[in-house]
Amino acid sequence: MAVKTFTSATLSSSDTNTYLANSGLVYIKQQTIGNGVATQAVTSAFSADYDSYRIVVSGGTASALGSMRMQLGSANSLYYGIVNYATYGAASTPLSAGDNNAALWGYVGYCSPRYLAASIDLINPFDSNKYTSYLAAGWTAETAAGTASGLQQQQASYTAFTLSPQTGTFTGGTIFVYGYRKA
Amino acid sequence: MTRPNIGIDDEVREMTEKEYAELLASGWTEEGTNDLAP
Repeated sequence: MAVKTFTSATLSSSDTNTYLANSGLVYIKQQTIGNGVATQAVTSAFSADYDSYRIVVSGGTASALGSMRMQLGSANSLYYGIVNYATYGAASTPLSAGDNNAALWGYVGYCSPRYLAASIDLINPFDSNKYTSYLAAGWTAETAAGTASGLQQQQASYTAFTLSPQTGTFTGGTIFVYGYRKA
Repeated sequence: MTRPNIGIDDEVREMTEKEYAELLASGWTEEGTNDLAP
């Protein structure tokens, strides 16, 4: 859709509806993380309405330091991923860690007693003919940071996902799910 | 030992033995010691 420059002080209903309907990211749902849970599932997140999604986690705390992890539906194998990271500071040595046919993605965000943080782009989770990818997830630990991406190598359709801390439990943050509008 | 809780949308309950076994198989630990975690 072409960019339009409005010139009148009052928007018409037609313009308003058109531009609301053609926003980029569309809010789908949000879910508060339960009190002291080791895993938090979000159902009815993915559908044929969108091919790609942004999942954002903010607020909340965890009982311990560790990565935030993600599972699609009930799939518990064929997760591959890598996080490239380094400790804070100049000329820090690059490090990495990864998932090789793991039971879930292990590095989609980070959990701390002082914050939860994740911003995950997810591609094709609902398409039963495609592998699902996650891309450019920020991984921000307290003494290091990096970026992660990965692939779930099953041609399957998912409507739900589960987030979990690598260690202990988390509490009270909010998981936001947005869809990338297709048309 | 009490099994940890699981959240499914707004429902929070104790994990079943099967769910707890799957959690442990995923590499989850009850306590951590390393900020870099990987």
